[in-house]
Amino acid sequence: MAGATRNLRHAFTATLAAAWLAAGSAALADAGHKHGGAIGEPGVKANATRTVAITIRDNFYEPETIEVKKGETIRFVLKNTSELLHEFNIGTAAMHAEHQKEMAAMAEHGMITATGINHEMMKMDHSKMGMPAMTHDDPNSVLIEPGKTAELVWKFTKDTTLEFACNLPGHYEAGMVGQFRFRK
Amino acid sequence: MKTNSQARHWLIGAALTVAVSGGVAHAGTYDLAIEKLGVDYAGKAREALSINGQIPGPLLRFKEGEDVTINVTNKLDTDTSLHWHGLLVPYTQDGVPGMSFPGIKPGETFTYRFTTKQSGTYWYHSHSEMQEQEGVYGPLVIDPAGREPFRFDREYIVMLSDWTDEKPMRIMSNLKKQSDYYNYSQRTVGSFFKDAAEKGWGATIRDRLDWGDMRMTPTDISDVTGYTFLLNGRKAEDNWTALFKPGERVRLRIINGSAMTYFDLRIPGLKMTVVQADGNAVQPVPVDELRIAVAETYDVIVWPKEERAYTIFAESLDRTGYARGTLAPRDGMAAEVPALRPRPLLTMADMGGMHEGMDHGAMPGMETGKSAAGGSAMPGMDHSAMGHGSPPAAGTQGMDHSAMGHGAVPGSQAAAPSTGMQGMDHSAMGHGSMPGMEGSAMKSGIAPAAANGGKVLVYGDLRAMKRYADYRAPDREIELRLTGNMERYFWSFDDKKYSEAEPIRMRLGERVRIKFVNTTMMSHPMHLHGMWMQLDVGKKEFNPLKHVVNVAPGETLYVDVPVDAPGEWAFHCHLMFHMSAGMFRKVIVEQRTADARIEAIR
Repeated sequence: MAGATRNLRHAFTATLAAAWLAAGSAALADAGHKHGGAIGEPGVKANATRTVAITIRDNFYEPETIEVKKGETIRFVLKNTSELLHEFNIGTAAMHAEHQKEMAAMAEHGMITATGINHEMMKMDHSKMGMPAMTHDDPNSVLIEPGKTAELVWKFTKDTTLEFACNLPGHYEAGMVGQFRFRK
Repeated sequence: MKTNSQARHWLIGAALTVAVSGGVAHAGTYDLAIEKLGVDYAGKAREALSINGQIPGPLLRFKEGEDVTINVTNKLDTDTSLHWHGLLVPYTQDGVPGMSFPGIKPGETFTYRFTTKQSGTYWYHSHSEMQEQEGVYGPLVIDPAGREPFRFDREYIVMLSDWTDEKPMRIMSNLKKQSDYYNYSQRTVGSFFKDAAEKGWGATIRDRLDWGDMRMTPTDISDVTGYTFLLNGRKAEDNWTALFKPGERVRLRIINGSAMTYFDLRIPGLKMTVVQADGNAVQPVPVDELRIAVAETYDVIVWPKEERAYTIFAESLDRTGYARGTLAPRDGMAAEVPALRPRPLLTMADMGGMHEGMDHGAMPGMETGKSAAGGSAMPGMDHSAMGHGSPPAAGTQGMDHSAMGHGAVPGSQAAAPSTGMQGMDHSAMGHGSMPGMEGSAMKSGIAPAAANGGKVLVYGDLRAMKRYADYRAPDREIELRLTGNMERYFWSFDDKKYSEAEPIRMRLGERVRIKFVNTTMMSHPMHLHGMWMQLDVGKKEFNPLKHVVNVAPGETLYVDVPVDAPGEWAFHCHLMFHMSAGMFRKVIVEQRTADARIEAIR
């Protein structure tokens, strides 16, 4: 049965590939994956001035507000104590809205399920199908499976309106988003 | 940052308040009175029944873990009762006359006492006669002890119901005297095949078509028509309105408190994220539309970002009308109200897929020589007329679908009420190949479909938020066939009505699987009192807990019941007239000790 469903999914993927190409896949890939300095940049762990521990629950973060300073590099340690797969993604509300579409597609493809990551699927070379890379390896976000811990180091270079959020289908709508508050 | 405990809830319109006395924290006393109320919903003055002089009754709002005392006074001249739908309470507090207690006599006050051990959106209603149809219903909310797995800035109750100017007893006698009184007719598949086996296809079909004065069409979906549909007790034109600030997340506690109506609810322009079903948290599912069966509840989060009004639109399943309200940033606004969609047509699929392989062209006497998979392809053919006629003879077991060798019964093993296939992940269901399901043209005529072409919620989308700790294989399986005889308006289980049947006995601590087999062409919302039904959607520990499961025409559905509450529990179809006609059972949960078997105390 598993083989049959993979074939089904591959068939679906190929169909989607055509749709994605038509939609201007290159633009889609760039928009989602190259944010430039607008929201900051990946940080170097050695430069981190502090560590912020975040507990991930269904469906919210603890804490929900994090104070940051412009120029600061922070090492985020994310512990998922919940039942479900969640994301920690640093960006603007508009970026999150875009990323939700990508995550919805990933969920439909079976690359992620409500409770975990299908690692086999993630490693698949989507470029062979004429699709943009569909991995989840942006530096500004990380997927954390239930029970696991992950790290993300980020340098906040601009004083701007930033959120951290989970873009799995339905999670953002259910309120899984927190605010970065810039202080002087 | 707002937490749920700080979330304000604004309830616009009639004061939905409860008299609360009693000063101890987590212990409240509530006083309710069942009394007559003059109403005018459809242009005529009528006498309704009510709780505390309002319809719906006052909001009962408890906290999880609260010791609740509810004094219910009967100001009518007939017996009454109140049942707390979906609540886990000792059976003596469950409010079913003849099972939990004798009922509340005229002039008497009965005091309910229980400790809440759950949270979520529920409702309460009379369990006496047909008082539920006459206005004795209200919303019930239990606030959680801890934090909920979703966040919102404000919340509203959206209670849908149906009102008829006719007295329910009169409706019942009309249905019994003349089954198609309300232009409706449903028959079982079993009787059709019995007749066909005896008389041949052609003769059977001609027989059905020959019914004089049938006034039957495949569009007859409901037993009773002529309803006015209400949203929080308001007619559509009264435009019940809830306010929001653009950018806020709003929680809507949607309750179907009607007696007989399924609603297809949508908010054009707003996606709904379903976060609770029947009071239990589910993994969030964004949808465009949902079908809510009688007695079910769904909690959704909507997130209006624009400075405009949105229409809350709940069409009845038979498309004879709608309940309607508005979400707006200011008072006095209204958005466009969509037109009603066309009435659905029942198809062959609603007959349980029995027609797969049937060659209609071979039937003598048929004008059309074509075979068809869908009813609408056969001009002049009234498919709802098929399979219907004389009731199965006593002793006939009805149809054993599995023995017929036709494979797929839509929805069987899959526990999704809509036999429409959109949105279903078949690979996830853990069943092997299902002939006819892959790319099948066989689709129920009443399968829910989103009006905007988007996503409609189906049972297959529901997954519990919390892993069920005691999940295990059932100890045994019971089959319950949903049966009916339309000519006498007789609805039953296994062809036996309540008064003819033995109670269903269960033992405390066991896990019982119930297989619902719907041999009729109607949907039935099955409700078990006092214990959860864990609906099998193939997700094991994440199968959702429900107190009502809808079984679609011709469908087979499985639930697992963790039997954890001793006593006597009602188990029935929640379509009120079906329940009254006999689609009801008593479940006795016995406690067995090493020495003796202690029966539930009457």
